[in-house]
Amino acid sequence: MNAFKFLKRNTIIHRLDPRTKLLFALVYTINALMFTEIVPLIFIFLSLLPFIVLGKLFRQWIKSLRSLAFLYLFILIINTLFITNNGFSFSLAMIIRISIMISAFSIFFLTVDPNHLALSLISMKIPYEFAFSFSLAFRFVPTIAIEAQNIIDSQQSRGYEMQKKGIINQIKNLFPLLVPLIIGSIKRAFNVAEALESRAFGSTKKRTYYITIRYTISDWIFTILLLFIIIVVILIRLQIIIMPIWFNWSLPV
Amino acid sequence: MKTGNPIIHISEVNYVYPNNTTALNEISLRINEGELVAIMGQNGAGKTTLVRTLNGLIRPTKGAIYIKGENNSMKSIAELSKIVGIIFQNPLHQLFSNNIEEELKFSLKNLNYNKEQIQQKVDSILIKFNLEKYRNRSPFNLSGGEAKKLALATILCREPEILVFDEPTLGQDAKEIAFFLEVIQSEIENGKTIIMVTHNIEFAYDYIPRTILMAHGHIIADGPTEQVLTNNFLVGKASLILPQIHQFKLGLEKIGINVPNEVFKQQEMISFINQYFKTKLTSK
Repeated sequence: MNAFKFLKRNTIIHRLDPRTKLLFALVYTINALMFTEIVPLIFIFLSLLPFIVLGKLFRQWIKSLRSLAFLYLFILIINTLFITNNGFSFSLAMIIRISIMISAFSIFFLTVDPNHLALSLISMKIPYEFAFSFSLAFRFVPTIAIEAQNIIDSQQSRGYEMQKKGIINQIKNLFPLLVPLIIGSIKRAFNVAEALESRAFGSTKKRTYYITIRYTISDWIFTILLLFIIIVVILIRLQIIIMPIWFNWSLPV
Repeated sequence: MKTGNPIIHISEVNYVYPNNTTALNEISLRINEGELVAIMGQNGAGKTTLVRTLNGLIRPTKGAIYIKGENNSMKSIAELSKIVGIIFQNPLHQLFSNNIEEELKFSLKNLNYNKEQIQQKVDSILIKFNLEKYRNRSPFNLSGGEAKKLALATILCREPEILVFDEPTLGQDAKEIAFFLEVIQSEIENGKTIIMVTHNIEFAYDYIPRTILMAHGHIIADGPTEQVLTNNFLVGKASLILPQIHQFKLGLEKIGINVPNEVFKQQEMISFINQYFKTKLTSK
């Protein structure tokens, strides 16, 4: 979970407005969904690297990708087994596609301060209550991760084994972890709601903000760059820009 | 206290969290079979980290832990939890079944008992913990105290030789604490070793014979509770306050009433005061 937790740093990526970074994550998600071939997906994947280097996020980015090793393996096995035509090649493309989406959102979560996130949503005319709930959910991600670890520890102390053989056993094995986690989260939600109400949350329609966010020159430069990238991608996808044959290359298996 | 064959032997253990925080620093400790020990200290002193190393939830960065003479580094958490049962602060972290009976059975199923043995053990623990009437009730409908009681029962039914409690008296009313005391006394009589991580200085002072004080990942004191918890310097270093009965003793000494050194507990103090006033009255 630490691979998605906000890291306070002073880099050009960190200083960008949260709206720019949200646009970045969305643009890269759309880019990834545009192709099913390996070569264009590799290009999109490589184009993420400058953002990672500029944000000094290399170690956390690698961690976020490593945390999905099991999912990659699952995609590789299932697709290779069940897709008769170039199954292996397709699975590789899907793995790169997921890596792009995970990387884009990892960069977003690692560089956006949860407090600024709510403000950026409000500036996009989203009602304060929704924006606040969203940023609160975002803020509780590490808390839930800690709680999940405590639940695992508690269950292991009464002999619970994490790894069990067989898919059915593995699914059954999730109950001792998920039930306390969900019930705990619901209880916390009620407690937070009560605490907020007791601090007069929503008592006035107009409210002031301690922090203000604004779009700077670098935000405009990044936004133009992102729009340029997505336009190029769309033009390639619609074959208005004709790419060489190797662009659609795939593995023979 | 530190002689004989220890059931727990911690040798020069260090633990550093992934964020480079040193939680345990050169910890060495022996705990003998049948001992009742309190681990106390400020928040973040390393108490909980230390007890989590006992059943392998945390593996030391350096040093070794021997449970019943065997190095625990080669054993899985599941194997170690047969010997070391940890009862965590929040009971809701481990309750998930539809009813209390199933909750208890889950702990026993992991030990490969047959159905009859499981039923027998569940029945007896339900009676012991006065939870029989709640047998079919959802564990999520229990009060905080009852949930804590159930969490305790789910570990005790496994009969581990070492019991570790993390803040057992937290949020418990007087009646629940009295019940908890009865349980630990009966477990001690059965030869169990009990370790209690607590901030409750009055409880430790009244009922626990040995206290280990921790601060900043170090053990700063380890000895008889009456000596450790009456040392103003050590207690202050561990962010605790002196037990009330000791503060009372110091107060009496300030007004010129010298209390003998062997007076530690409430009952001893009552006898001393009784004796003191009797002597005063008769001398008049």
